[in-house]
Amino acid sequence: MSPLPSRAGDGGGRGGGRDRDAAARRDPLAAPRTGPAVWGRDLAMGIRFAAGGGREGWIRTALTAAGVALGVAVLLLGASVPSLMDAWHGREKARENLGQVHQPRAADTTLRYASVDTTFRGTPIRGRLVRPDGAHPPVPPGVRHLPGAGRMLVSPALKELLDSPEGALLRDRLPYRIAGTIGDAGLLGPRELTYVAQSATLAAPDGYRIDHFGKNWDPTPMQTPAVLLVIMTCVALLTPVMVFIGTSVRFGYERRERRLAALRLVGADVGTTRRVASGEALFGSLLGLLGGAALFVGGRLSAPLITLWGINVFPSDVTPGPLAATLVGLLVPTAAVLVTLFAQRGITVEPLGVVRNRPPVRRRLWWRVALPALGALLLVPLTWGEKWTDTPLNTARFAAGSLLLLIGVTALLPWLVDAVVSRLHGGPVPWQLAVRRLQLNSGSATRAVSGITVAVAGAIAIHMLMTGMQAGYAAAYAESGKIPRIGLWGNARSWSGTEQALGALHATPGVTAARGTVDALIGPLPAAGRPQDDLRPWTLAVGSCAELRTLARLPSCRDGDVFRTTNAPGTDVPVAPGRTVDLNTAIGPDDQVTPQPWTVPGTTRPVQLRDPGREPGRFSYDLLATPSSLDLGRLNSPTAELQVDFDRATPDAVEHIRNTAARIDPMMNEYSAVDNPHDGPYTSVRNGLFIGAVITLLLIGAGLIISTVEQLHERRRLLSTLDAYGTRRATLGWSVLWQTALPVVLGLALALACGLSLGSLLLAMIDSAVTVDWPVVTAMTGIGGAVILFVTALSLPPLWRMMRPEGLRTE
Amino acid sequence: MIPAGSLLHAVALHKAYGRTPALDGADFSLHPGEVVAVMGPSGSGKSTLLHCLAGIIAPDSGTVRYGDRELTAMSDAERSALRRADFGFVFQFGQLVPELTALENVALPLRLNGTRRRDAERQAREWLERLEVDTVADRRPGEVSGGQGQRVAVARALAGRPRVVFADEPTGALDSLNGERVMSLLTDAARDTRAAVVLVTHEARVAAYSDREVVVRDGIAREGVAAV
Repeated sequence: MSPLPSRAGDGGGRGGGRDRDAAARRDPLAAPRTGPAVWGRDLAMGIRFAAGGGREGWIRTALTAAGVALGVAVLLLGASVPSLMDAWHGREKARENLGQVHQPRAADTTLRYASVDTTFRGTPIRGRLVRPDGAHPPVPPGVRHLPGAGRMLVSPALKELLDSPEGALLRDRLPYRIAGTIGDAGLLGPRELTYVAQSATLAAPDGYRIDHFGKNWDPTPMQTPAVLLVIMTCVALLTPVMVFIGTSVRFGYERRERRLAALRLVGADVGTTRRVASGEALFGSLLGLLGGAALFVGGRLSAPLITLWGINVFPSDVTPGPLAATLVGLLVPTAAVLVTLFAQRGITVEPLGVVRNRPPVRRRLWWRVALPALGALLLVPLTWGEKWTDTPLNTARFAAGSLLLLIGVTALLPWLVDAVVSRLHGGPVPWQLAVRRLQLNSGSATRAVSGITVAVAGAIAIHMLMTGMQAGYAAAYAESGKIPRIGLWGNARSWSGTEQALGALHATPGVTAARGTVDALIGPLPAAGRPQDDLRPWTLAVGSCAELRTLARLPSCRDGDVFRTTNAPGTDVPVAPGRTVDLNTAIGPDDQVTPQPWTVPGTTRPVQLRDPGREPGRFSYDLLATPSSLDLGRLNSPTAELQVDFDRATPDAVEHIRNTAARIDPMMNEYSAVDNPHDGPYTSVRNGLFIGAVITLLLIGAGLIISTVEQLHERRRLLSTLDAYGTRRATLGWSVLWQTALPVVLGLALALACGLSLGSLLLAMIDSAVTVDWPVVTAMTGIGGAVILFVTALSLPPLWRMMRPEGLRTE
Repeated sequence: MIPAGSLLHAVALHKAYGRTPALDGADFSLHPGEVVAVMGPSGSGKSTLLHCLAGIIAPDSGTVRYGDRELTAMSDAERSALRRADFGFVFQFGQLVPELTALENVALPLRLNGTRRRDAERQAREWLERLEVDTVADRRPGEVSGGQGQRVAVARALAGRPRVVFADEPTGALDSLNGERVMSLLTDAARDTRAAVVLVTHEARVAAYSDREVVVRDGIAREGVAAV
């Protein structure tokens, strides 16, 4: 071992420069007393110790590195989210044009553009129809030339689907020849299903004219529950990892202290020993940093496989910002060093051993309660009043509140363990040994267990939130989808066209009923020289007597009849017979239209709507007219509103209906509750989270094993003595079990309380009923219990090895 | 040939740690109530002899008989049971369980042997009084002096009313005054309870408390000079 400098400040100080030089010549290492050079040298020495610690040392270093690596990977992933979203939104903005305020005139450089999105077996497909006005139309990113008429460019994922047997039904819906694929620049992610097709028939009123792609628009913000979930996941994943890093850098403290004492014996000062200890922690931390970076780089390759809330990205999108990455690279090793120095407070390493200057810690409750209480104070007001809104302040409050609540659990646990074990007396010998051991020092056990507590509490809260969200969506979809029905709507050109559409739908496999009307808005006739009456426009439904009878109770009906409803919600002024109204009423403020006067026939009879209301499935028509009573061509944007009932037992009935609708009019829109898009992603996220929580628990379990074995090693002479007394192996085995089980059980109880409280708060924030995900609670508790057995089982072989008489030998 | 009336008798014990021989044909015998000092320089094999006699380790060859039982033929579980029931131990540094109080430490062998806690602690308290450390009954080992701790260890060794007490350098970590006190209390209490004592020491003044001395040198035990 190299000689080390003596106490800081002595040697060379009084003798002037010449003495110092002489000392430096004698011992080059002794020359620099302070400054970065000394720090560097001592840290390097610590790193050498950590790297040369034999198999045991390497296991400890590997565990430290694993904990740090996990933390670094999660931090890098979190740091990538902003750039990931920027890249994702950037591509969406670049390839889209939602319509220009001043529509350009047809020119060589314009095209007509329409959205024809659809859904295939629950997966959304983005479709765009184009029809160039000239030879030089704009092209979206990822596309070199627009496809010719009747052809389409598809994303690789859509091509794969169309080429597969599963896509056979979808091919009927997209009657275009594939002319090529869209490049990455035109895709939101590698799994996106999208196409651009040229339609020779695309014409007004369908779509709109554009002269460029790329439009500034504010991206749709993530839904509140999703934001809560993302924040909560980051907090719940990072907190146990931080706790684990704190625990793992303390691994091997006994051996480290012996090493440091040996250093003191050869003249190292206290500062040097601290720096050397920091160097040892730094080594594992640096390895963890590298491992975390590797884990992150490897993990991001799987980005194309993951689609969350409709977001699927390329691996290159998952790139942390340079500042964030630098911060992670600097903060994690610094944190490891700081934790090591913090752990050494109150400890003086003397040449003959370690002196612990700190009196027994009396764990105070007030500040431990203050942390979760403060967290609750931040969170509870978010549950009051209106549903949580995503503002920077709310986000910060929520993140801080959750973090405080979870960290509060780790702060409360040592107090709880102390409070409980101090009240435990009696019991059999193993129990007594375990309880007494915890009464004397429960610090290392609770430190490791607090990681479990946070992981379980976080996992329970997140699962509750997800279960609530999933249940909410499921209930909403179940309610809406109680009747197997699909609604379709599109531009109506004539009643006969609508009747043909209904006929085609009727003939579709699985359809049990199809009905519909042509709907439009009509308004008061504007008088010359004065503004249009400030009246709500009336709603008109045009349909055959049979169709109108499904809407209202008609006394009698013949083609040519008109009816006015008397119970439509929110009618200010009823449409009186004999009143002249405007069929071509302006819908928007900038709508420049020519009035189309029409007099409500005097024979118009009052009728009652069957289900008045504005909710889905109810009606709010003011006027019902049969086809011959007015000319549909005079109406402003008449819409065919079709409702199709189907038989759930017919395979792919919904897809057949969508195919028929696309044949009738590719621009036909659909509203339905047949596909719950939230079910699949939530299930996979929940599974992923569960696996993550289990890995965290196992990692913490590994940490517990190290702590337990170290503790046993520290007591090997005592164990040998107990063996000499004839103590049964089972007695000490049970004592290890109880010693592990007590903090873990208390930790799990605390985790349950915290997790259920946090989960309830989260559900209250999204106005969801509080539902406990008992299977997950049971599973997490079960895994916690398994960790106890796992730790005990793996601690037994070293325990029994140490219960050998060799421990009694002193020579 | 087993000496008549001997309680513990070892013949031709051999034990090596790797290539280093610790015992090289050692013989030993102990009578009920007898205090025998095993002396010898550092590394001579005296602790190894004690460990073999107590059934803590098995010799490579040779036999150890305890009464009419052959220790060397017993299983590990049987030897453990024997140690719990019939033997007591005192080591140089006491080796008290740090998290248990003095009272609980003394009660420990009794409880390991199946005695109910209340009874075990009552007996333990009597032993603490006898060893003059009842004032520290509720303190943990870290809170008592070395001499007090060693007396607690002696109380623990005697609490189970063993037939043999094995004491390995019981005063090695104490000053002479405390050492004398511990030895006096140990041997008096042992004689009162008719317990035999195997006392490993390298100090003549400690060996002076014995009835007989055995000197171990180079792994061979030889009868020494009677101290009393």
